[in-house]
Amino acid sequence: MKVKTHGMIVALIWAAATAVGVVLARSVGILPSPASYEAHVIDSAMTLLTVLSVPVFMLVVVLVPYSMLMFGRSGEPEEDGPPIEGHHTIEVLWIGITSALVLFLAGYGAVGLTEIRTHAAGEQQLVVQAQGSRWFWEFTYPEQSIRTKEELVLPVGRPVRFEVTATDVVHSFWVPAFRMKIDAVPGMVTTVHVTPDQTGTYRDDFHFRVQCAELCGLAHANMTVPVTVMEQRQFDAWVAQKIASR
Amino acid sequence: MALALMPLIRGVVFAAAGFAIGGVLAALISMLAGVPPSIEPLFAMGYLLALIGWLLGVGLWETWGREWFGLPVKHEAVDDWRRYFRFTTDHKVIGVQYLVTFIVLFLLAGLLAVLMRLQLMAPGQTILGPNEYNIVMSLHGIIMIAVAVATIIGGFANFALPLLIGAEDVAFPRVNALSYWVVPPVAVLLIASLFFGGFDSGWTAYPPLSVLNASGQLLFLLAFITFGLSSILGGLNFLATVILLRAPGMTWGRLPIFVWSIFCAALISLTATQFVATALLTVVLDRVLGMSFYNAAEGGAPLLYQHLFWFYSHPAVYIMVIPGFGLVLEVITHFSRKPLFAYKLVVAGFLSIVGLSFIVWAHHLFTSGMQDFLHIPFMVVTELISVPTGLVFLSALGTIWLGRLWLTTPMLFALGFVFNFLIGGITGIFLADVMTDIHFQDTYFVVAHFHYTIVGGEVFAIMAGIYYWFPKITGRMYHEKLGQIHFWWMFLGFNVTTLAMFWVGLQGMNRRVADYPAPLGGANMFISIVAFVLAGSFVIFVYNMVNSWVRGPRAAANPWRARTLEWQISSPPPVENFPQPPRVVGHPYHYGVPGSVHAVAGVAGGSGDGG
Repeated sequence: MKVKTHGMIVALIWAAATAVGVVLARSVGILPSPASYEAHVIDSAMTLLTVLSVPVFMLVVVLVPYSMLMFGRSGEPEEDGPPIEGHHTIEVLWIGITSALVLFLAGYGAVGLTEIRTHAAGEQQLVVQAQGSRWFWEFTYPEQSIRTKEELVLPVGRPVRFEVTATDVVHSFWVPAFRMKIDAVPGMVTTVHVTPDQTGTYRDDFHFRVQCAELCGLAHANMTVPVTVMEQRQFDAWVAQKIASR
Repeated sequence: MALALMPLIRGVVFAAAGFAIGGVLAALISMLAGVPPSIEPLFAMGYLLALIGWLLGVGLWETWGREWFGLPVKHEAVDDWRRYFRFTTDHKVIGVQYLVTFIVLFLLAGLLAVLMRLQLMAPGQTILGPNEYNIVMSLHGIIMIAVAVATIIGGFANFALPLLIGAEDVAFPRVNALSYWVVPPVAVLLIASLFFGGFDSGWTAYPPLSVLNASGQLLFLLAFITFGLSSILGGLNFLATVILLRAPGMTWGRLPIFVWSIFCAALISLTATQFVATALLTVVLDRVLGMSFYNAAEGGAPLLYQHLFWFYSHPAVYIMVIPGFGLVLEVITHFSRKPLFAYKLVVAGFLSIVGLSFIVWAHHLFTSGMQDFLHIPFMVVTELISVPTGLVFLSALGTIWLGRLWLTTPMLFALGFVFNFLIGGITGIFLADVMTDIHFQDTYFVVAHFHYTIVGGEVFAIMAGIYYWFPKITGRMYHEKLGQIHFWWMFLGFNVTTLAMFWVGLQGMNRRVADYPAPLGGANMFISIVAFVLAGSFVIFVYNMVNSWVRGPRAAANPWRARTLEWQISSPPPVENFPQPPRVVGHPYHYGVPGSVHAVAGVAGGSGDGG
């Protein structure tokens, strides 16, 4: 077969595989159901990165097996291949395309990051102080003057500012359903903003949990607290009940 | 037998004496200072002298001490199996010492992974107990890191690099022996840590946890610092060797790509390792002397450690993987019987990776609470690394395209590397992007990603190297069919196991956990079962290696008809490497170029013709 024919066949298989891959990447949900505004932004970044990965991935996945099948043999080759040491146009294109992709991703990433950092940073914030200790979390709602260790309860639709710290070793505050995570570091207060936009409970979806995500010793794996996101009304009732039972 | 192992026995005796002296000294000092003696300062001081005692006993005294003090130097020519248990300066022997040591450690740490997967087969299960799981996981991590850092540089570069550049040995043969013989104390410390309560803080040992936990942590810290010493000495030696000992005509533009890759990795080893030593030493000081680098209550800063640690440990992944790139491209070009595509661009790519590797460390800290404004710059430089890394793929694909591919076991492993590292590289972008990293940080997505780069990448490269150089190292041929079965078994087992780890990571399973939410039970059961199947592939590997080394058919000098210098001498090579020193006259990879020759025999006995 001529060089051009090989090239055409590979290009066709690559285009077909890429098309199928892009459709799959856009349609198959591989992340848990998102439950915060930030989670939606992160999930669309995930989809975009996956879609952009497909043509890169398929290039190798098509070229390597094709070359093995067409140019490969199990015995010793009798002759050498063509002495091609490089190809100026392909090299320039390769560097150009990879650099352009990187620049695009960097720009996209910067915009998206700014979005999730600032979206919930306005007024009207609910402040929750989260304190990690081996091996439990304690949540303080300073405005409501309540404190809880058994559960994290949040109203839906209201931006929350978590002020996170630790008393002993480094922990990490992570709610998989919100996609947001920040380390709890002794001697520091770190912050993360989340806007829950779906009600839910740990009982129905195990991604509604605070999970310690930084290795902290013995019971690290089980340093979890159920998360409940409820309507503002119910939340007010919960707060009132907490205050009453204090 | 006892006589043959005399240097080892002497080393152990001297080490024990050093340990006792150091311990007593530390006890005396603490009493003078009015502090009741406690175990960790005694141990740290004892270890310091034990290490010196071990090195003196095992060979430093015989090779350096006697000469320095003008005492008669004993020259004991040992050329049988005993040389592998001695302070030998032959780079080929040291290469084999490294290779065998680290493959044994690799298999050991692999067994620890099997234990971990047993624990994780079902939620709530406690075969190990959470503390034991954390200890096993941490030990698996650090041993595998050592394997990843040292196997290619210590093993293959030692064996093959002087041969590839036409040298008699490395620049500093005794330093080379020293860099190997500090490794056994590392292994002993790591295993002995289990008797001191182990260490449960992972291979990263973040304080304050690593200041507060069991005394096994101290042994980990001392082991890691000692290992760093070996790494620095190795880096220094290879840089000097490549700069100074290239055969006449072996210009920088004719260096085999594997040599370039070791040169680049050595640059990082020599210049970055000190930073992790600093990080670890400050934790030692917090533990042993009660200093407060990381005690927030006394003004310490836990984040400081993370910066220092990753300032080495991110470049370190390139100490691991650039040699993997070099090895794989080396194998691919020989078995495609084509020149290496875009050779000069690949070298430029390696050097760019070295440079960039020093300014990306903070992408490990995107969720650590470091200042927000640092996130975007570190994201951008991290993503930039994919441009030079992409050149490795360009070269690999361009080389196999239209080649005459000889699909032997080393070639299969090299092509497997290309596929695996592709997935490792692409998923790296998801971790470089701050948004997606906020969710993926510290989950199984990260576990899967670095196993794709280190196991799917580097370990596959190591396997390619083992099969490629097996005939040269042992003088015997491995069993080709078994080698190919090993490849396919390992390739499929590895990919299914690790792809499934991405899945549980996406589903919100965090890493370094002895237990997980019940809904993830099915996926974890699946991962465990496939992981056990994967573990089985190494039985074939070990059988093939041992059996072929003992009973395999004699290998020809150049079974692959490769052009590089190591294949132009007998298998195994003679002690002096080149009976006639070579003179390099052409490029190593000019397959198919009419009339092209890589090297001719130079003046016999001479050190070159000066040209």
